[in-house]
Amino acid sequence: MAVTHDVSPQLDDLVVTAHRIRQSIESVIEGKSDVILLTLTVLLAEGHLLIEDVPGVGKTMLAKALARSIDCPVRRVQFTPDLLPSDITGVSAYNQQTREFEFKPGPVFANIVVGDEINRASPKTQSALLECMEEQQVTVDGATYRLDSPFMVIATQNPIEMEGTYPLPEAQRDRFTARIAMGYPAPSAELEMLDVHGAASPLDKLEPVASTEEVQALIAAVRGVYVSQPIKKYAIDLVTATRQSPDLRLGASPRSTLQLVRAARAHAALAGRDYVIPDDLQELCVPVLAHRLLPSIEAQGQRRPPEQVIADLVRRVPVPEAQAR
Amino acid sequence: MRLPIASGVATGAVAIALYPLFQGGAWFWSSLGAILVVTGIGVLAGHYRLPGWLVPPAQVLAVWVYLTSVFAGDEAWARAVPTKESVLALAELLATGFADIQRFAAPVPDNDGIVLLTCGGVGLIAITVDLLAARLRRAALTGLPLLALFTVPAAVVAEPISWPTFIVGALGYLGVLVADGRERVSHWGRAVLVRRTSSFTVTRPSSDAGTLRLSGRRIGFTAIVLAVLLPLLLPPLEPNPLFSFGVGNGAGGGNSISIPNPIVNLRGQLSLPENSTVLTYTVSDGAARYLRMYSLDVFDGEQWTMSEPRGRPEDRTSDSPMPPPPGQGADLPVTPATLDITVSEQVRRLSFLPLPYPASKVTVEGDWRPDRDTLMVFSTRNTAGGLTYQVVTAEPEPTAERLKAADPAAPAIRERYLGLPESLPEEIRELATRVTKRDSSQYEQAIQLQEFFTEKGGFTYSLATQGHDGPALTDFLIRNRTGYCEQFAASMAVLARVLGIPSRVAIGYTGGGSLSDQWQVRTHDSHAWPELYFEGTGWLRFEPTPTGGAGQGSATVPSYTRPEVASATPDEPITAPSADPGDSDPTGGTAAGRRDRTLDLDSGGLPIALDEGMPPAARIGIGVVIALLVALIPAMIRWQLRARRDRHHTRQVKGPDGEDPAGATALGAIRRESAVRASWAELDDALCDYGMSRQASESPRALARRLTEQYGFEPEAAAALGRITSAVERMLYARAPGETGTLRADLRSVRRALAATVTRGRRIRAVLLPPSTLLRMRGLGGRVLDGFDRLENIQLRRPTGKGA
Repeated sequence: MAVTHDVSPQLDDLVVTAHRIRQSIESVIEGKSDVILLTLTVLLAEGHLLIEDVPGVGKTMLAKALARSIDCPVRRVQFTPDLLPSDITGVSAYNQQTREFEFKPGPVFANIVVGDEINRASPKTQSALLECMEEQQVTVDGATYRLDSPFMVIATQNPIEMEGTYPLPEAQRDRFTARIAMGYPAPSAELEMLDVHGAASPLDKLEPVASTEEVQALIAAVRGVYVSQPIKKYAIDLVTATRQSPDLRLGASPRSTLQLVRAARAHAALAGRDYVIPDDLQELCVPVLAHRLLPSIEAQGQRRPPEQVIADLVRRVPVPEAQAR
Repeated sequence: MRLPIASGVATGAVAIALYPLFQGGAWFWSSLGAILVVTGIGVLAGHYRLPGWLVPPAQVLAVWVYLTSVFAGDEAWARAVPTKESVLALAELLATGFADIQRFAAPVPDNDGIVLLTCGGVGLIAITVDLLAARLRRAALTGLPLLALFTVPAAVVAEPISWPTFIVGALGYLGVLVADGRERVSHWGRAVLVRRTSSFTVTRPSSDAGTLRLSGRRIGFTAIVLAVLLPLLLPPLEPNPLFSFGVGNGAGGGNSISIPNPIVNLRGQLSLPENSTVLTYTVSDGAARYLRMYSLDVFDGEQWTMSEPRGRPEDRTSDSPMPPPPGQGADLPVTPATLDITVSEQVRRLSFLPLPYPASKVTVEGDWRPDRDTLMVFSTRNTAGGLTYQVVTAEPEPTAERLKAADPAAPAIRERYLGLPESLPEEIRELATRVTKRDSSQYEQAIQLQEFFTEKGGFTYSLATQGHDGPALTDFLIRNRTGYCEQFAASMAVLARVLGIPSRVAIGYTGGGSLSDQWQVRTHDSHAWPELYFEGTGWLRFEPTPTGGAGQGSATVPSYTRPEVASATPDEPITAPSADPGDSDPTGGTAAGRRDRTLDLDSGGLPIALDEGMPPAARIGIGVVIALLVALIPAMIRWQLRARRDRHHTRQVKGPDGEDPAGATALGAIRRESAVRASWAELDDALCDYGMSRQASESPRALARRLTEQYGFEPEAAAALGRITSAVERMLYARAPGETGTLRADLRSVRRALAATVTRGRRIRAVLLPPSTLLRMRGLGGRVLDGFDRLENIQLRRPTGKGA
């Protein structure tokens, strides 16, 4: 599909395609449309997603449903304490026939990589994902291999399980565009789930609804979404506010500003808009920023999680250029 | 460290106010030296942490050494250490200083004695201020010694202290308070910010102490500005009451007006810096009356004095009406009038009632008795201060014919009121006959005398003359012809006696000035005037003193003494034959006649005329209208703003006419944008007016959502709101805003929907006192204050860095 410079018709396609993907995922996961929208947003923003929640709420199901809905190579890695970096990136093995070392690509060579229970792996293995996520390339034995586009890592992790877990270091958390929590489904949704899942796994019936090329075109269209100067300044204001807040020990990084704006573009595009408005940023602030921040001792003492701190900041930072007075 | 310096600066700043007391500037530099010595000791004591009780004695000692070295260096050992001789020299200098201060009036020459006194005084004040501020840490109390220093020039010099001097002094005091506050706040410690990471680069803009200091300064400046401006804004108060203290009539009577000696005191009252109110009164016919207290009947060649009044117990005002006025005929036409007089409580030791002449009935509390001959009412037990009493007066209205035909006075009168000393200079007698026509009647001669003083003689009214005695009388009449009411009255009375007209001098007050519906008599209205006797009419007031702006401001000339009236009266009906000696005795002309001359001719009378011309109700009405207009200013600003925004829509609708297409689209886009901006601003203001302001972090879309949900908008209002916010959103954030259409109708429907959700009171307030405009005004005020802060930072940074 050719990328045209005229955005609006492209956005119509985008909205239609995105809607198809959403419906496809929703047929598997009931009553989580906001989570699904956020997942799509991250996909179109060329970012990576960290899903954090208690076991059994459908984290892996979401990742798999997204992967299935797009007709693209999907790999899944179950992270365990004994997992090695080469198990992710791939190894160079000696080929007896050609008498050469040959690179055997690891599971990371796919369009969508589902890293299950990522916090169970050792930091060494976790950091093997770093290069892939940020630079979309893998370097093994001095040779660099490019990864395909789109490339998205969907990692899940368990927050309350303490034993045998290695919390993700800040640097690695910073590489995820957004962190979402699934949350328990509503009773009605859970009831429906019982009916549907009772017979067979709905995942098996899921057919791809979009091709890799279509997703690439969508990503290109998102890049064309207009971000006005005031909006850029607003994003900087929001991020700066986290750096100055006495409730936070570590503020958001410049990388997070970039990812916030990128995600806002995708969010706007999914809403069929070819420009970003403050509401996009406001809605994305918590999922995009919260996992990168460290609360101060005081905030911890007051039981104020970073999510709440950010929500307060969003309520305080003035919207740009809209000041009539 | 800060406080001693601030105290020194404050004392120096207030000492500047002493400037008008001196002729030179030497005193200031010497005093500055004393202040520096005190401050230096204070600073050193702080530096070496000396005990506080030791500092004031050390400072006294240091000031002593300083004074010795400056004023008695020759006698001192090594020019500084006090010796017995130096102490004696200082004491001698002090004595001369005291004597000089008694002798000279301000501005005094700054000779050694006076400068030594000033230096010592300023040094003592500096020590007290330093003690209060730096040792006892009671900075606010330093206002008392500083105020004491401030009152010296205020009490001595007639002019009020100029406002720049006041501001400098107030700033000095403020400096002490600020220094104390900073010292105090610095003990609180500094806020420690918990920051673990080095990525934090943005420091907090200001510490807590800085903010406190800023608001403290703002309050201080506002207080000073108010203190200077507010008195100017209150019309009845002149600006000087704030800056001048007491009446200061020499006797140092504090806040009282003492009237011990009628004639000596007159000039004092006339030239007093403060024009205190002595009494107020209302008259039944509304016209002002001269109020007489004393009648001086004896001229001893130097002075007019009063023979002792005799009050009989049976004449007591509470028991009987007043005795009949001497010499007034029963057939004389009179104008009755009733006066209600209230004497100010500040008046002390006044045992004579100010009364119109002739009074026929006085209703007053206490034991007051009239003197039968002069009709003075006095008391040996009570004083007039704070009294309220009622007087009925029967004012005679003699005609010129009657006066011209008056018989010679009765012998008793002639004996008492024609006495002149043998020593009266011949030239004065000659003058009396020269300025009058020999063959005219006594009444005509009296008028000629009055004309001589007011018009023909070339007299000048001035308060800057000495008292009245023999040589001074000659001086006044023959040589410089400059004086004030006392000289004029006394001279005319003397000349009248020379001509054989019985005369006496009355001391009291003119009618004063009009204050709404009553008359107000102030110390400046003190007056002396001659009373001349005509048989059948009695005692008549004359007015030789120039009136109006170049004379006694509130004095008036009686109509019967004005030639044009006097000679033009023959056609007036004569109500009674004049040939009835012994029973006619007028005092003044008609009430209207008394005032009109000053009102018509003198600029000084103009404000009074204005006052009289406007009834109180009208003035209140005008005041209310002005207040309403002022109160409506925000509403008018709001209305005008709305109209201006409305014009943007009109322009947008009209569109570009007769221009090239490219320019037209560009212009159209600009107009569209301004129209959208105007609607957004208007919506914002409307919300503010209705008390549902948009939060700063609320985007247009979020605002629309909130309003629609919160106030349950009708679908069409919600749609209109949506159109506005979407247009705003596109205009602000989209690449190309696109077509917006006119938003005027949408704005109107949103406004209606908003108005429907609030109470009626809120709606009325939104129109009359729109909060959006008030907020904008407050913002403007804040910016003005910010400007002041910046100014202050530019100009005062150095002194604050160095000193306080």
